[in-house]
Amino acid sequence: MSGNPGRIVDGLKSLLGRDRVVDDEAVVRLYSREPSGLESQALAVVFPETVRDVSRLARYAYSRDLKLYPQGSSTSLSGSSVPLEEGVVVSFERMNQVSEVSVVDSIAVVGPGVRIDELNLMLAEKGYMFPVDPASAAVATVGGAINSGAGGMRSAKYGTMRDWVLGLQLVLPDEHGTVLRVGCRTLKCRQGYDLVRLIVGSEGTLAMVTEAILRITPLPEQVVVALAFYPELRNVAEAVVAVKEQSVQPYLMEFMDRKTVEAAAKAMNIPVETPGHMLLVGVDVNREATGRFVEWLGKTLRATGAVKLHVADTLREAEDKGFFTLRRSLFPAQIKLAREAAGSRRVLVYIEDIAVPPSRLVDAVEGLRSLEDKYGLPTMIGGHVGDGNLHPAVGFDPHNEDQARRVEEWFEEVMELALKLGGTISSEHGIGTLKRSGLRREFEHLGSAKALELMRGLKRLFDPKGILNPGKVV
Amino acid sequence: MAAWGRSRLLEEAGKCAYCGFCEAVCPTLPYGRHRGYGPRGRVLLTAHLARGGKASPEVLSSIYTCLTCAACTLKCPAGIDIPALVRAARSLLVAVHEKTII
Repeated sequence: MSGNPGRIVDGLKSLLGRDRVVDDEAVVRLYSREPSGLESQALAVVFPETVRDVSRLARYAYSRDLKLYPQGSSTSLSGSSVPLEEGVVVSFERMNQVSEVSVVDSIAVVGPGVRIDELNLMLAEKGYMFPVDPASAAVATVGGAINSGAGGMRSAKYGTMRDWVLGLQLVLPDEHGTVLRVGCRTLKCRQGYDLVRLIVGSEGTLAMVTEAILRITPLPEQVVVALAFYPELRNVAEAVVAVKEQSVQPYLMEFMDRKTVEAAAKAMNIPVETPGHMLLVGVDVNREATGRFVEWLGKTLRATGAVKLHVADTLREAEDKGFFTLRRSLFPAQIKLAREAAGSRRVLVYIEDIAVPPSRLVDAVEGLRSLEDKYGLPTMIGGHVGDGNLHPAVGFDPHNEDQARRVEEWFEEVMELALKLGGTISSEHGIGTLKRSGLRREFEHLGSAKALELMRGLKRLFDPKGILNPGKVV
Repeated sequence: MAAWGRSRLLEEAGKCAYCGFCEAVCPTLPYGRHRGYGPRGRVLLTAHLARGGKASPEVLSSIYTCLTCAACTLKCPAGIDIPALVRAARSLLVAVHEKTII
């Protein structure tokens, strides 16, 4: 960075206006951390309100070698939104306009600061939805979700962000602050190399997203939901197979293992009559077919050994009857149990994000339980079993060196386990800083270390001075 | 109800996992100029004050614009009583400066 910090901040205020720059140390710290527990201290936070602001900022940063850290709502769990070196956080919170919704074209054109739930509230009025639903959707922004390549409960059916972004407006970190439009507002789009998909999941390291054309889809007419508990893990795997073999692509398929069900129920005072491995399955149906699917779902889950089964005709009924209570209790229960286990009020919860082919679920859960014993770390295991994405989580006291070391080793071994089972180290949280070594390991495992070289080359091409979210991904 | 002291305040604020789930329901955040006008920011800023951090104009605005409506508390996975934290921070400020701020 050329120029002292005070001059840089003054320069930013002249460039963007005083109301778009905050340099109060305590407030800046709020933008220099994320739920992963990583934190630092940026020089300032800037709040661009237009693409012109972002372009001018990029030009200014390029000329002064100033590091820029684009940020949505800081709900990243990979370290991707934390400023590592001296630089400025670029918060897109104020670029939160939905400029167009067209059900005929099946698109929504939105600013990067729009929160996913807010977009969905607006779309629901027209009978539509944006289906990517990270657990943090209430606060997560479209820009953040694009950059982290987010997924969610509905990914087994609808995929992740890379399947729902049609076009992007970008600002490059170059001498001109170049503004680009890539992609189309049509579903079909052959525009040479796919730069849209390159940016999705790039974690703010290549360009700043200033607008997105998102694909939208009609809300399902009705969703039938079943909550089942199984005595054995293999029963759950059989249920997943049974559902899929009958050519049904579930709307959602969530899993918690028995130990996690018991721990969460106890921690959060949730009554569970017959604890076991939990499977929550939702299937979207035409209203007229409800009875047939309720019967089929019940029969299928019973046939695979469900000892306790509840079925609801609609999502509303499932909500009212508390089908989602256990699954949603996972995060608070993790925090509560971690605090108890760590014997300290200040705890961190590490939420892993591996995926394995759904057919390897049993091996994955057994492997994770054996790692729990090896490292003495009470582990909660839940996830989106429809797409094989598991979120094993451990809590620990970051100031306890022994615990922190064990968690670090556990973290590495969990990734190794995923690779051994034909899976991946990150499904929807991204690489950030926490999984850089894992990314290297994954490509080595695939005999494709060259892929990292290509990625580094892409980074240099987009960001020749290395000023955009440096130190992340590659 | 007596406001919490520094140590209780730090203990309660220390539970924050920074998930941000509280922000979606906060009535003041959409009108503020930064994250400090929402519950996630306020939790951290009360801890900042309890540790003897500077009561800058931005920090004071954050603490004193809270309506203590408790919508955030209903959403907090860690069960933090955010209005109680805010009241504690205000008491702390009054005690330190021996006068009310507003």
